Amino acid sequence: MRDPDEDLVRRVGAGDRRAAAEIVRRHLPRMVGLARRMLGDASEAEDVAQEVFLRVWKHAAAWKPGAAKFETWMHRVAMNLCLDRLRRVGRNGGDVPPDTVDGRASATRALDERQRRERVRDALQKLPERQRAALVLCYYQDRTNIEAAEILGVSVDALESLLSRARRTLKSALAAERADLLSGLETG
Amino acid sequence: MNEARFVELLGVYGADLVRWPDEDRGSAAAFLEIAPHRIKDIWESERTFDHLLALEKDGPASIALETQILSTVPSRRSLVGASSGRSLWSLPKWATGGALAASLALGFAAGYAGEPPRSAESDYASMLTISSSGAGSMYLTAMMADADPR
Repeated sequence: MRDPDEDLVRRVGAGDRRAAAEIVRRHLPRMVGLARRMLGDASEAEDVAQEVFLRVWKHAAAWKPGAAKFETWMHRVAMNLCLDRLRRVGRNGGDVPPDTVDGRASATRALDERQRRERVRDALQKLPERQRAALVLCYYQDRTNIEAAEILGVSVDALESLLSRARRTLKSALAAERADLLSGLETG
Repeated sequence: MNEARFVELLGVYGADLVRWPDEDRGSAAAFLEIAPHRIKDIWESERTFDHLLALEKDGPASIALETQILSTVPSRRSLVGASSGRSLWSLPKWATGGALAASLALGFAAGYAGEPPRSAESDYASMLTISSSGAGSMYLTAMMADADPR
């Protein structure tokens, strides 16, 4: 299948500023989203997104449409920048499932959407980085299993194992929110 | 698709079959249609979990960030120079210098050839005009290419 960014990238490589604006509009939200979920910091996420686009400007002229889509390449660049930052400062989610005590304590009261979102965000940040990366790519960035495996440099089997563990860990961490959401759906 | 495989993939990719591997999606949809209630309950439970995860969705990127990124788009000139294969700027330094010297000498020659005697000021102006369309512009482009951080 033809890369949907192929023409745009070629025009960016030729110095077309309008094409550059279009490629930013098309991909910036996802790049920021990926970096924010991986790093847990909005400001750092914006730095990573800027760095990704600097690399787009640098490599667009030499880009050859091939096996990988341009968007997949952008995801790989963004993910590697995030993993580099996490390793540089020694930040990595714990290997122990996130504490669920707070969740159980709050299970009886209804959480509004904003609170639930914050809990999901916190739980994501506590995942080990490879599990988080797999989940972010497949769930939030809508990458296929093959693309996500390629971005992370692992086999599809290994990716599935990471995804499965990530979902199990999150289910445990978000048990209270899940129950709350279920009761909300039943009563609503 | 059997029950064990369906539940296994459900635990990996969640309830939205769009996220499932291409080769399993069709058979999973067909299986879900005729699956026993027990399996449908598991699928519903995963769907609720997907809803929970979906609360953490992307907002739009800030205009300030977009503007900042667009300010880093290089000029057409430097992009074209960088992408033109083996251009003058990719030659060894001695060859580049030779080409510049030859171009400059041609500029001098053209500036003086067949012209009536003129004042020093007009000769200088003529040199600038010729060199700005030849060696001068090449030199400036070369300097820009050298200054490019790439």
